[in-house]
Amino acid sequence: MKHTPPAEVIPLWNLSEGSCARIARVLGPSDHVHRLDEFGLRGGTKIEMFRPGNPCIVRLSGNKVCLRTDGLLEVLVEPM
Amino acid sequence: MIAAAKTRTFTVALVGNPNTGKSTLFSGLVGVHQHVGNYPGVTVEKKTGRTSFAGLRFEVIDLPGLYSLAPRSRDEMVVVDLLLGRQRGAAVVDAVVCIVDACNLERNFYLVSQVLELGLPVVLALNMLDVAERRGIRIDAARLRRQLGVPVVPIQANRRIGLPQLKAVLADTAAGAVGDIVESAGKTHPLQRMGLSSGVPLNILPDRCLHCGATGRPEDCGEDAAGTAAMAPDAARVHSTPLPDEFEAEVALLESELAEESNRAAGGPLPRCLVRRLLLDTNGYLQRTLLDDSDGRWASRLAAARERLAAAGSPTPAVETSARYDWARRVLEGVVVEPGHYKTTPSDRIDRVLTHRFFGTLIFAAVMLIVFQSVFVWARPAMEWIETLTGAAGGWVEAHVVEGALRSLMVDGVIGGVGAVLMFLPQILVLFAFLALLEDCGYMARTAYLMDRMMARVGLSGKSFIPLLSSFACAVPGIMATRVIENERDRLTTILVAPLLTCSARLPIYAMLIAAFIPAHSYLGGLLNLQGLTLAGLYLLGIVTAMIFATVFKRTLLRGETPLFVMELPGYKWPSPRTVFMRMAERGWMFLRCAGTLILLVSILVWAALYFPHDPNATHQEQQRNSYLGQAGQVIEPVVRPLGWDWRIGCAVIASLPARELVVATMGVMYHLEDKPGPGDRRWSEKLRQATWDGTDRPVYNVPVALSIMVFFALCAQCAATLAVIRRETNSWRWPAFTFSYMTALAYAAAFVTYQVGTWVAG
Repeated sequence: MKHTPPAEVIPLWNLSEGSCARIARVLGPSDHVHRLDEFGLRGGTKIEMFRPGNPCIVRLSGNKVCLRTDGLLEVLVEPM
Repeated sequence: MIAAAKTRTFTVALVGNPNTGKSTLFSGLVGVHQHVGNYPGVTVEKKTGRTSFAGLRFEVIDLPGLYSLAPRSRDEMVVVDLLLGRQRGAAVVDAVVCIVDACNLERNFYLVSQVLELGLPVVLALNMLDVAERRGIRIDAARLRRQLGVPVVPIQANRRIGLPQLKAVLADTAAGAVGDIVESAGKTHPLQRMGLSSGVPLNILPDRCLHCGATGRPEDCGEDAAGTAAMAPDAARVHSTPLPDEFEAEVALLESELAEESNRAAGGPLPRCLVRRLLLDTNGYLQRTLLDDSDGRWASRLAAARERLAAAGSPTPAVETSARYDWARRVLEGVVVEPGHYKTTPSDRIDRVLTHRFFGTLIFAAVMLIVFQSVFVWARPAMEWIETLTGAAGGWVEAHVVEGALRSLMVDGVIGGVGAVLMFLPQILVLFAFLALLEDCGYMARTAYLMDRMMARVGLSGKSFIPLLSSFACAVPGIMATRVIENERDRLTTILVAPLLTCSARLPIYAMLIAAFIPAHSYLGGLLNLQGLTLAGLYLLGIVTAMIFATVFKRTLLRGETPLFVMELPGYKWPSPRTVFMRMAERGWMFLRCAGTLILLVSILVWAALYFPHDPNATHQEQQRNSYLGQAGQVIEPVVRPLGWDWRIGCAVIASLPARELVVATMGVMYHLEDKPGPGDRRWSEKLRQATWDGTDRPVYNVPVALSIMVFFALCAQCAATLAVIRRETNSWRWPAFTFSYMTALAYAAAFVTYQVGTWVAG
C-alpha cells in the first residue's frame, strides 16, 4: 500500500477509489458545514472512497453516503 | 398507580435517523392499526398507530427520520414542538423510543444526545445488531446501558426480534410515568422518571445518571447514585446536556432575559432546549419564529452572546457538534469495537454494478422501462373491470331511478366523475407498489445518486428525481413525495414542474386523438411507427418543458444555488411484502381521498353546467348549446379559434378543468354518442372526423387540430386534484394559482404554435 505523508491535504474529489482518508476540514457556508457535521461528515472522521466522481460515494463508518461537492463545499482530506 | 395507568393512553414517539428501521419498528409495534394524516399547516406526515400491551393503551407516533433536532423550517419545528408538548392538537408525548443503527452508533448518538436533552423518558432501541456483527462490528449492549443511563433494548425490527422486550420496557416506563403523577411530581430521581423504578425485566437499570455519569460530574447533577430525590425535574433537565459550561451560562442568561421580557408570542416559559437552539441557530429561523424582535434587540443580544462564546473558544454552531460527538465518544467508549478494515459486503458487490456510471445507468433505464411497462400492462385488466363496474352502476341507476335531474346527476355527475378517478387507481397502485419495492430494497437511493448529475444541471439535486418519477403516473403523489427535499426553494421548483410530466390521465386523450388522426405509418421495417413516435414525442415534450422551466424558476423566481446533496445509501435488503403493501395501500388511499372528494365535487358542478337551464323538449344538441357550459363555450370560441378549435372543444376544455381525463367523456357527450367512447373505438374516430363547424361542411378536426389539442393537454394544468395538493403542500393559494396561470399560458401558446405551424406545413 502506498503511504502518503500525513501532512498532505487533498480535496475529496481527488481521492482515488478504495483509498482511505481522514477528513481534515470542510469548507463552505456555515449552515452547510453544520449540516454535514450533523450528518457525520466532519473533521477527524475516517472515510473510504467507494466511487469517485461528483457526486461521489464514500464509506462512512461502515455505511455508504453520496455527496456532491461543487462550488458550495470543499471537503479536504488527509489520505491515510 | 396501575389503575391510573390503565385508564389513560400513553403517547410514545419514535425518533431516529433515516434508514434505521424506524418505520419497520413502527409497523411491528402497531400492526395494521395505523393512521396517516397531516399536522395542520405543514407537510409533516402525522403517522400514528394504536396498540395495547401489558394491559396498557399506547398511541405510537412515527416521526420523520432526522439527523438532528435543530429546526430550520416549519416542518422540522413541528417535530420539535411535538416532542416538547407544544404542538397544538397533539397529545403530550410521554416517552420517546430512540431507534439507532448498530452499525453507526457514533453518528446516531448525535440525535440521541439531543433527544435526551428534552427531559422525556427515553428507551433506546438498538437495531440491526445482526448486520453490525456481519460487518465485524462488536457491541457491548450491557456496557452501553450502564454508560448511557437509559434502557437499551437490542432489537431486529425486520424480524420482530426483541419487540416483546421493548414493549415490556415501554409498559414499565408508562407505569413509571403515572407513578410520578400519582406519587409526587418532581420528587423522584430522573432515572425513576425514566421508568426504571421497578420490575424492569432486562436488567437494564443504569447505575449512573444521564450524561453526568459518563462525564464524571456527579456533583454537578445533585443526584446520588442510589436514586433518592434531591432535585426538581426541571433542574435535572438543565444538566442533561453535554454542551460546555460557558455555553450553558449564556443559555441561563438568555433564559432569564427572556423570562423578564416575556414578549414571546406563545405563553409559558420557553423550554430550555429551545433557548439553547436560539443561541445555536445562526440561520435565524428560530429567532424569527419564537421572538418578537421588531426593534432588533434580541438579534443584537444573540449576536453578542455568540461573540462572547466564540471568544471563549466555543463558536456557534460548531460547539454543538463537537460537544455532542465528544459525548457520544465517551458514552460509547469500550462499547463498540470496530474492525480494522471493513469487509466487502454483498451490498458493496451489488453497488459496484448498480452505481457504475455506464452499467448502473443502463440497468436503471431497464428498471424504469419495466416499471412503466407494468404500470400500463398490469393495470389494464383492473381498469377495464372498474370501467365495467361503473358502467353497470350507471345502468342500474338508469333502470331504477325515474328519469330527471336526480338520475342525470347520479349517472353523469357522481358515477361518471368518481369512475373517472377510480379508473386510474390500478395504475397508481401498481406504480406505488413498484416505488415501495424499490425503496424498501434500497435501490431508490441509488437512482437519486445516478440522476443527481442530470438534476444538478437544471439547478436541482438527485432528491427531486423520485417525486418527478412518480409524476409520470400522477402528479398528486409526486408532489406529496417532494417532502424529502429539505431546501424549500428546490421543493417548490419540483412542485411547480411536476405537473408538466405526462401523467396517466393524459393517456386517454392521446390514445383517442392519435388513433383517430395520426396515420399508422411504419418506419425501419415496422420497428418504429408514427403513432408510437407521436406518443413518445408528447412524453418528451413534457420532460423537456419541465427541465426548461426548472432551470428558469431556479434562475429567477426561486433563485438559489444548486442544493447540497448528501444522502445515505442504505444497505440492500430483501423487501418486506408487508411494508410494500402497507405503503402502497397508504398512498393509494391518500390519492383516493384527495383526488376523489374534489373530483366528485367538481364533476357535479360540470354536470349542473351542462344540465341547466334544462328544457325537457329540446334535443340533446340544443340542450348542450343552451346550457351554461354551452353558452360559456360559445363565449370563448373567439379565444380558442386561433388554436383551430370550435366551441365544442372549448366546452370540453372547460369541462375538463377538474380532471383532464374528463375531456374524453365530455367530448363524447358533446358529439352525442350514445355509448361512452373507448380510445381507439372506430366509430368514435368516425364521429370526430365527421364533426363540422356549425353551419358549414368544413370538418373541425384534422391533424394540426388534433396535435394542437394534444399539445394543449400535455402542458395545461387541468387537474383540480393537483392544484389542491399544491395548495396543501405549500400552504398557500398563491402557488396553485401561479401553476395554473403559467401552465395555461404555456399550453395556449404551444397549442397556437402547433396549429399555425401545422396548418402552414400541411397547406
